[in-house]
Amino acid sequence: MIKGTLVNLRARELTDIEQSARWAGDEELQRLMGDRYPQSRAATEASMRSYVSRPLSFDDPRFGIETRDGVHIGGLRLMDVSAEDRRARLAIIIGEAPYQSRGYGSDALRTLMSFVFGDMNLNRLDLDVFGFNARALAAYRKCGFVEEGRRRGAQYTRGAHHDVIIMSILRDEWAAQQAAGEVTR
Amino acid sequence: MIEGTLVNLRAVEMSDLERYAVWFNDPEVTRFLNKRYPFSLAAEEAWLRENTGKPLSYDHVTFAIDTKDGVHIGSIAFHKAVPEDRRAELGITIGDKAYWSRGYGTDAMRTLLRFGFDEMNLYRIELTVDARNERAQACYRKCGFVEEVRLRQHRYAEGAYHDTLWMGILRDEWAALQEADEVRR
Repeated sequence: MIKGTLVNLRARELTDIEQSARWAGDEELQRLMGDRYPQSRAATEASMRSYVSRPLSFDDPRFGIETRDGVHIGGLRLMDVSAEDRRARLAIIIGEAPYQSRGYGSDALRTLMSFVFGDMNLNRLDLDVFGFNARALAAYRKCGFVEEGRRRGAQYTRGAHHDVIIMSILRDEWAAQQAAGEVTR
Repeated sequence: MIEGTLVNLRAVEMSDLERYAVWFNDPEVTRFLNKRYPFSLAAEEAWLRENTGKPLSYDHVTFAIDTKDGVHIGSIAFHKAVPEDRRAELGITIGDKAYWSRGYGTDAMRTLLRFGFDEMNLYRIELTVDARNERAQACYRKCGFVEEVRLRQHRYAEGAYHDTLWMGILRDEWAALQEADEVRR
């Protein structure tokens, strides 16, 4: 378990299936995640079974996000982890509506950053976000992610092409953030 | 076969093996490619066998680049074509260094762009390039690609982190370039 302030990150469990299936069925959430096709419960369960049985490691870390009271509210995943380049791409979902826009996602991101830089020893953490996802953009900026540019019209959804924005934070930037945090305290 | 001005694009054949093996073990050729580790002949052969074994299709677009005299000089491909977004990622290598900086790469690019837009009906074609690789960027710009994103410290090689650029060209931009060409003629 990786401890944050509002949330903890833990390994995913088969018992997360109920919520994962529910989030996978939420049209708005799926649109923001870039998933188009509804998935059966069986498909969701099959993919979940295949990774909960593998120990988490450098190559494919996936976490459940829990409040400090143990309420499972979302998930986090690192993709394309490169050992030589020391970088990874993240995807996050806060599936439980009452916990959206209340700092839980940001705390999960900060907790992940501590883990990614402080334990996995990466140099760069990046992410893709759709240009229309204002809430996510604001949250990423708040956590220190820098916009690097936009792949124009790279994502088609709801009848139009949308830009995909790429954001990143480098190890040095994260370290400076930590140092500034120490000073404020 | 797809005809360009200086080159033709054709399906890759097993008889191309020897040249691929030489090119992809040449540090000058692979310097800016995502190929860090030397490739055995057996690995190259297995890759080629798999690639030549399946018919070219929307999901599998890999061409050998031949000069008009039939000299095999390189390879060009679309990776990760996404039908809903109507986009694909382009990758090119001119393996025969005698044909560098002489317009062969640019002609191969233009030929594949025409195929991508006019036959595959893509909306967007994109690529990534090492920020230090100015020769390639000049070629891509000449073909109409626009720099969209600078991924900071994205790739580690030769003892340092290097930026990677995303470049893209949209269907409308391609069409406008074609029209400008018509006018000039």
